[in-house]
Amino acid sequence: MTSARVDVSVDGGHVRIAVAGEVDLANTVVVEEQIVAAITNQVTSVSVDLGEVEYLDSAGMRILFSLASRLAGLQIAFEVVAPVGSAARRLAEVSGLASLVALRPPLDRAAG
Amino acid sequence: MPTHATETQKGAADRLRDIESVTDAGLARLSVDDLLVELLDRVRDILDADTATVLLLDAPTGQLVATAARGIEEEVFQGMRIPLGRGFAGRVAAGRKPVAIDDVHDADVINPLFRQKGIRSLLGVPLLAGDRLLGVLHVGALVPRRFSDADVDLLRMVADRVALATQAQLSETERRAAVLLQRSLLPDRLPQVPGLEAAIRYIAGGEGDVGGDWYDMFTLPSGWVCMTVGDVVGRGLRAAAVMGRLRTAVRAYALATRSDPAAILERIDRMLRQFEPGEMATAVLALLEPSFDRIHVSLAGHPAPVVAGGTGPATYLDVPVDPPLGVAPPASRRVTTVDLPRGAVVCFYSDGLVERRGVPLDTRLGRLRDAVTLRPAEDVCTTVMVELVGDDRPTDDVALLTVRRLDPPSAEPLDLAVPAVASSLRDIRAAAKRWLTTIDARPDDVIDVLLAIGEATSNVVEHAYGPKGGLVHVRLELQRPDVVVTVRDTGRWRSPRGDNRGRGTHIIDAVTDEVTVDRRSNGTEVVIRRRVGRAGSRR
Repeated sequence: MTSARVDVSVDGGHVRIAVAGEVDLANTVVVEEQIVAAITNQVTSVSVDLGEVEYLDSAGMRILFSLASRLAGLQIAFEVVAPVGSAARRLAEVSGLASLVALRPPLDRAAG
Repeated sequence: MPTHATETQKGAADRLRDIESVTDAGLARLSVDDLLVELLDRVRDILDADTATVLLLDAPTGQLVATAARGIEEEVFQGMRIPLGRGFAGRVAAGRKPVAIDDVHDADVINPLFRQKGIRSLLGVPLLAGDRLLGVLHVGALVPRRFSDADVDLLRMVADRVALATQAQLSETERRAAVLLQRSLLPDRLPQVPGLEAAIRYIAGGEGDVGGDWYDMFTLPSGWVCMTVGDVVGRGLRAAAVMGRLRTAVRAYALATRSDPAAILERIDRMLRQFEPGEMATAVLALLEPSFDRIHVSLAGHPAPVVAGGTGPATYLDVPVDPPLGVAPPASRRVTTVDLPRGAVVCFYSDGLVERRGVPLDTRLGRLRDAVTLRPAEDVCTTVMVELVGDDRPTDDVALLTVRRLDPPSAEPLDLAVPAVASSLRDIRAAAKRWLTTIDARPDDVIDVLLAIGEATSNVVEHAYGPKGGLVHVRLELQRPDVVVTVRDTGRWRSPRGDNRGRGTHIIDAVTDEVTVDRRSNGTEVVIRRRVGRAGSRR
């Protein structure tokens, strides 16, 4: 069974959702539920970090497209983080997500 | 005063006839079971007894088991078992001397059948082969009588006959069982691992008796490949059975433990000491990384593998030898890592291959090393056997496992047919990834090809079949410089549903060079072409 891990960290109104592992048709529902559960009414900005994603295809992309349109409607800022050259980044560019959502590489870790 | 006509009244001629009756050459043609029945009938006749029984000793339990009986067949049907030393038969066996009971009413006879049948007198003799106790032969009479010395002599003669026959059959049965067990535990086909080729040779040494040598090679879900050769001390059915258990335990521990041969051997060691005290084994355990670049080896009292690779002649791997498995005290085991270049050949073997009485071990080791060259695994095995075994039948088991890392890696096409369900997608990707690794594809190209495969197969899962389901066929083949992927199904597609559907084909287009879709009412075939470069090179 395809396995992915969703880790959520909250900093004030900002939610960082890190997805790791593989996301495909078999587990998109579960992953989507976990992502959506992390976004409460108090949230003002969301970043989804795909740095640890080993596989992602259009099935997983649907989650992000869906999330993008929903967050736009709620006026919550949304960005997707993916390392240059990664499978996730390639897919984000090729699928058109990059033209819809802010896409950036991971920042160097700040101290603290 | 005897109450029954006895031996003393029979003439010498009669006695001779009696003896001939039980030593008749014609009996030799009978199977053991028929022989026993025939002998027991003749004995009853000659001794004028009413019952005759053969009980055989079941060594592991120390019990005498009724195996053949005439006049009291219930003993066999009911699986009568008498512990050594208990009751009549037990006493005969324990004392290894004839015992006669003139009247059971006066004696301690535990077999309720005797009473039930109304047996009054008993005569029993041990079945001996040399000084090994095989069982007991006894006769019973319904009318009390005293058995004479001549009766005892005759019964002993029959006992010798029975002992000979049963001993031959016991050995043969055990030997056949051991061979069957060994054959079932050591299949002669190894797993097909793309990028590797392997060959084995296995010879049971000794007098056709089996030993405890084993070999094994298997892949793990992580992509690591495990190779092992081992040797349980001892011979026969017991050693073969212990070997089977060890072989299974190695697989179980390899599956559960991190990829460290020393850790696996430590667990095997503990298992042996806990559950099979007194058993000992040697083993070499090697784990090959999924990339096949490096191999990790640990030795437990076992000779070092030979490696031929890259440049230069073959050498013995410089791996320290830890103690055998099953000996106390427990040892901390070491692992050695060695590079395995493309084309390299590794030979794992048991000491039966190199040990030969009267020949210095170094000579044999040198001969083995010289026989390992950069050739197909089967050829290496053949050469090794010719050089090391030649015309002499080995006295000990010989196990030889040769593994070669292919160069260039095998470009055999990959063909999969799996149920078109979401849970299959991951397995398809894993197989494709492994195949792409063996053809040494550039990582960026691997990402794109896997994505294309993932999209195409997801489409089949979502659209091709109704609730009844069906299969999706995936084929990957190398047509240099392209990888050609064919995804095929036999369903009648329905149109995409829901929001945000249908992005898949757009993505496939974007990451591949060419896509063709042939959709018919009885199935769809999608063919994808993608140029793939070699890892380490620019596209």
